[in-house]
Amino acid sequence: MALYFFTPFIAIILTILGGGIIFYILGFNPIEALKFYFITPISNLYGFSELLLKATPLCLIAIGLSFCFKSNNWNIGAEGQLTFGAIVGGGVALLFYNQEGFYILPLVILAGAIGGMIFALIPAILKTYFNTNEILVSLMLVYVSKLILDYLVVGPWSNPEGFNFPETRQFSDSSRMPLLFEGLRIHAGIFLALAAVMLSWFILYKTYLGFQIKVSGLSLKTAKYAGFKGKTMILVVFMISGACAGLAGVGEITGPIGQLHRMISPDYGFTAIIVAFLGRLNPFGIIFASLVVALTYLGAETAQIFLQIPKYTGQVFQGMILFFLLASDYLLFFKVKILSLKKNELRH
Amino acid sequence: MATDLRISNISKIYPGCIANDNVSLQFKSGKIYALLGENGAGKSTLVKILSGVISPDNGEVFLNEKNLKLSSPLDAKKNKIGMVFQHFNLFETLSVFENLSIDATEDNKSLRLRINEIFKKYNFSIDLDVPVLNLSAGQKQKVEIIRCLLRSPKVLIMDEPTSVLTEQETEELFISLKKFCDEGILIIYITHKLKEVLSLCDEVAVMRKGKVVSVSQTQNEKVETLANKMVGQKLAKIKKKINISKNKDEIFKVKHLNFYSDDPFETNLVNLNFSVKKGECLGIAGISGNGQNELFQILSGEIITPNTSIIFRNKEIAKLNPKQRREYLMAFSPEDRISQAAVPELKIYENVALNNFKASNFFEKGLVNERKIKDHSKKILSDFSVNTDNVELKSQFLSGGNLQKLILGRELITAPELLICYNPTWGLDVGAINYIHETLIKINDQEKSTILISTDTEELLKLSDRIAVIYKGKLSKIMSSEEVTSEKLGVLMGGGSID
Repeated sequence: MALYFFTPFIAIILTILGGGIIFYILGFNPIEALKFYFITPISNLYGFSELLLKATPLCLIAIGLSFCFKSNNWNIGAEGQLTFGAIVGGGVALLFYNQEGFYILPLVILAGAIGGMIFALIPAILKTYFNTNEILVSLMLVYVSKLILDYLVVGPWSNPEGFNFPETRQFSDSSRMPLLFEGLRIHAGIFLALAAVMLSWFILYKTYLGFQIKVSGLSLKTAKYAGFKGKTMILVVFMISGACAGLAGVGEITGPIGQLHRMISPDYGFTAIIVAFLGRLNPFGIIFASLVVALTYLGAETAQIFLQIPKYTGQVFQGMILFFLLASDYLLFFKVKILSLKKNELRH
Repeated sequence: MATDLRISNISKIYPGCIANDNVSLQFKSGKIYALLGENGAGKSTLVKILSGVISPDNGEVFLNEKNLKLSSPLDAKKNKIGMVFQHFNLFETLSVFENLSIDATEDNKSLRLRINEIFKKYNFSIDLDVPVLNLSAGQKQKVEIIRCLLRSPKVLIMDEPTSVLTEQETEELFISLKKFCDEGILIIYITHKLKEVLSLCDEVAVMRKGKVVSVSQTQNEKVETLANKMVGQKLAKIKKKINISKNKDEIFKVKHLNFYSDDPFETNLVNLNFSVKKGECLGIAGISGNGQNELFQILSGEIITPNTSIIFRNKEIAKLNPKQRREYLMAFSPEDRISQAAVPELKIYENVALNNFKASNFFEKGLVNERKIKDHSKKILSDFSVNTDNVELKSQFLSGGNLQKLILGRELITAPELLICYNPTWGLDVGAINYIHETLIKINDQEKSTILISTDTEELLKLSDRIAVIYKGKLSKIMSSEEVTSEKLGVLMGGGSID
């Protein structure tokens, strides 16, 4: 059990080693490069706030996904739910683009959550009533939502004074997340993420719903035998997951971005899958994992600036984390022994 | 050369149970030794220690007065201890010869020669070049045995070898084992089947709860004496008195039960009609795969079939799911203990919470009431004599018998009016079977009803008041168990008819 929570650390260490080797092959001093990657970005207050800023959506989405994954529902389309949440939330924000009022932001946030929820309900309903595969449906819907967003920002919602740039008007201040500190981009969305962590811990470990999720994840046959309402549960976990992704989307557009355009998320919805598993689907593990993975985003940006390596190396690191995590999980159940290479001992 | 194997003061403790408690035994070549015990008595642990799979917490193993350090299966091999496990360790897609050559130290030609010698000597015949997956269970076992023989073992340990064999194959195995024994290989035969001990072995050691309780010559033993030693008490002969209950109310009535499935692995059920009276046990016999699975799931509400009428205590329940049916005081014990009735990864009290209904208050307003569940679980553990009192223990650490007691306890502690169970004693040892049979009879004595779906005719004849046979999804007429014999049941189960 202790090992189960220890392997993520092994995976991270291996990722850093693997990264060092890649840098070395590319002709960089590996120590230097890793320093730019993992230390420089958070060596000042601004960097630290950026880390939290990036970790917030990752954490929120991963928390939602953990409900799905724990109950054997493979929602791969959080990116789509994030996008659709942002569209709905953004739509409400645009409705109030020239108005002020304390009630606007809560409305926008709520709209975002509902948007994500509705979008997640599509694969859930198709799964429960038409027996479709939720992995395919949720994944394909990601592209649908991106195209809807694309259409809106170049078409009906594009900024009339925007010189035909594919973007909407800026949201009014009343639709923006309050900033926590002057001069830093970290915003109140982080409290949404923390609240989601607490709430999900409570639901997963202290409620009947959580118990049903746990049992269904371990054995669907048992869940059926116990008489759990399987269909309702699938709908509920997808709704929770979609709402969290929607919140993450709305947090991005009302936080650092402030309008809708094509690139509202650097694939947070997909990266959050890694976060969820790195965090062992445990609410507090996910906080930790979201910080680690957020650092790869920041590191990639710093590395691009200082070392002129493309920022897509961030995805290389994220890929390595997942790879090493899966590998160490797999090898966890084996005993590795070094044998002397006498032929008659080369057995099993 | 004579072999002398001595086990001295071996102990192995797992969380929540003592698997081996100061076990000392002595074996000499030229004899076949039986190690007898119920499931969970500690036989397998002892064998795993001898084969180096696990290390004991305490104690030593001596082979010809040499103290063995067995810290891996490799050590056991080096010391010429061979082991044939209940589950085969063969590569199914490789040929027999490839399987045998994997850990051989010689070249293929001389290996083939040696294998053929063994074939000749013991009258084996297996095609060396067919893939293992084409072999029968008995042949696979022979491959495992040959693998041991190739290393000219001094000790050969067989762990429940006959559980997968046909009668014919069992006989062949016994002949081979006797031959090995004559050649000076020390044979340790692990089993819980009493008859095999008497027909094969010379000396028998009985284990119970991790301890060796007796070592004796088999010629001085009988099935009953061994059974008593194994279980630790005199086995009361259970015989149920038949409930003469002509006038009693029917509390459960099934009409027009039809089930059609597209899945070729499921059996269609054709127009089943039956009823159960108060305090009665209705037995449903049949060879497995004749629709019992589907029937159980329909009765429990896991499958809802259209146009079926199920009346329970004067209410129509055909459309209700298992949880709702429990509210009406039905209880279910499925055949599959490990992946359906309970989840091994869950703690005992979490498994208890699976049988949740309103009155139990396990979940109040959607919240888990852990204290209530734990108290309830403790009561089950003590009332149904499960051999642990730790409700936090993961269920995977319970033996089959104890897990079944937990499941039955969970289902029965709510005093249901009707218990539906499917092969409740499948894979259990005598003691546990006895306990469960007694429990099932007790339910009927308390005027509660049971439906017993079972593939064990002996069990059905012992427990049922009336019996029907299911064959290819159809139910025979329901007979009083007084007029039924096991021969009659056998004919019906095979698809024949009686008059």
